[in-house]
Amino acid sequence: MKAIYQNYFKKSNNVNPIIKVLANVPIFEHLTEKELSEVVRLTHERTYKKDEHVFKKLAPAEGMYVILDGGVLITDSDSETVFATLESGDFFGELALLDEEPRSASAISTMPSRLIGFFRTDLLTLMKRSPELGNKILLNLSRVLGERLRRTNQELASPNQ
Amino acid sequence: MDPLHKIYRLLLFIIIGLIALEILPFLSSIIGMLVFSFLFTTIFLQAVDNIERHIRSRALGVFLILFSTIMVGIIFIGSFISNLGSQIKVFTKKIQREDFTSSIENLSNNIRDSLPETIGNLIPESEKIILMAKNMMIGVFQSVLSLLGSAGSLFFISFMILIFTIILLIEYHDFKRSLVRFMPNKYLEVGLRMIYNIELQISKYLRGQILAASSVAILSIIGLLLLNQFGANITLVVFIGIIAGLANLIPMVGAFIGMIPAIMIALMNNIGSEIAMDHQLFGALPSPFFILDIIVMFIIVQQIDNNFITPLVVGESVGLHPMAVMLVLLIGGTLIGPLGMLFAIPVAGVLKVVITEIVFITKNSHLL
Repeated sequence: MKAIYQNYFKKSNNVNPIIKVLANVPIFEHLTEKELSEVVRLTHERTYKKDEHVFKKLAPAEGMYVILDGGVLITDSDSETVFATLESGDFFGELALLDEEPRSASAISTMPSRLIGFFRTDLLTLMKRSPELGNKILLNLSRVLGERLRRTNQELASPNQ
Repeated sequence: MDPLHKIYRLLLFIIIGLIALEILPFLSSIIGMLVFSFLFTTIFLQAVDNIERHIRSRALGVFLILFSTIMVGIIFIGSFISNLGSQIKVFTKKIQREDFTSSIENLSNNIRDSLPETIGNLIPESEKIILMAKNMMIGVFQSVLSLLGSAGSLFFISFMILIFTIILLIEYHDFKRSLVRFMPNKYLEVGLRMIYNIELQISKYLRGQILAASSVAILSIIGLLLLNQFGANITLVVFIGIIAGLANLIPMVGAFIGMIPAIMIALMNNIGSEIAMDHQLFGALPSPFFILDIIVMFIIVQQIDNNFITPLVVGESVGLHPMAVMLVLLIGGTLIGPLGMLFAIPVAGVLKVVITEIVFITKNSHLL
């Protein structure tokens, strides 16, 4: 009985460490702890070995990843261009939450890494279960993409800087 | 992978397959219970998720949803049984007045008179019909007794399905995450897409079926009330409508199952009534006890459902060609009877999703 009570009814006071990491990701900004725990329930924690692909270029894209520990290299395997080197707390692949286009680059784990995956199917489930929360995340996502577009525009407008 | 390893893997699959085939008959009832629990989980999941958002306790949400559903079920079955009980009492009194025997005699003679002589001679003598009817009654009572005998195991199965449903509803999202945990990293995204599409397929199908069943129930109730306006004297109209709606969940044969209680009650209520005995459909076709009227009414309801409601609400929910649907229903019906027909379409829909994803993985394995 005690086990049933603890499993189903008793509220735990420990804050999930994943919640702490997600709270600092711009896409989950301004979400309450309750909302974050609702998001966490839909996410997937994965571990990757050194040099293991998280995804390959042109692979079907389903969602974004947040790095809990470790590092990830975003690269174009054809031209061998490195777009970014990411570490704990960083996120990547968020464009896949919105469209169904294949991945535009590869992501490779540079060391044993722990990632949190948040996928389009999770976002769709969340939008059905909790439209308010789904809208907040979409708004944050739009903000992140808008900022990136503005930055790209500025870079294109002043190529010498 | 070296060839020897491939052979070992193949052998392992064959051995596992053979063991599974041996064990399957022993596990079939448990698998059946799990399938039903999963279906109930799919039906109630959305409601539980919504309640959980407001009261912050999933267990309480599950309790509220299941308790209210069970209470509605108990009230429905209870009042149906008590109403049917009083109906049977009235019917027994009618039989004791020997109206029953004279009614059957009249029915036999009426049918014989209204048909050409050659066909009329094929109808058995009234004594034979009475004997047949009595034997049929004994058969019905025996079936009821055997049903009561199996009530114990039915109760056990229902209880187990309830327990499985509670566990699945409470732990659904964690179960799903645990399942995903076992997926290799390279198949993660494709696997998630497959699970989502399967869930979508089943919930769309169930929602469509529930809507179609409700429409059939409402249409049947309206139809029976209309027949009552012409003197059909059918009672328990709402119950008959709900039974017809529920029976409609079984494709093709459901409509006929829905007719049975309506015909039985029309017979019970109209035994001994001369007007009901001599009733003619459209003033031309002999329809004693309004039996033909009821059959025609259910056929009309079925046609409205098949041609307007189902295509609209269930329609392309599983995305299968009508020919494929027919084939799948036949296969399901041949393999496990009405239950097979009930599950044939959603199972085919799920298989379609799985096969599509497997084909995708095979074609794009270099990208994963």
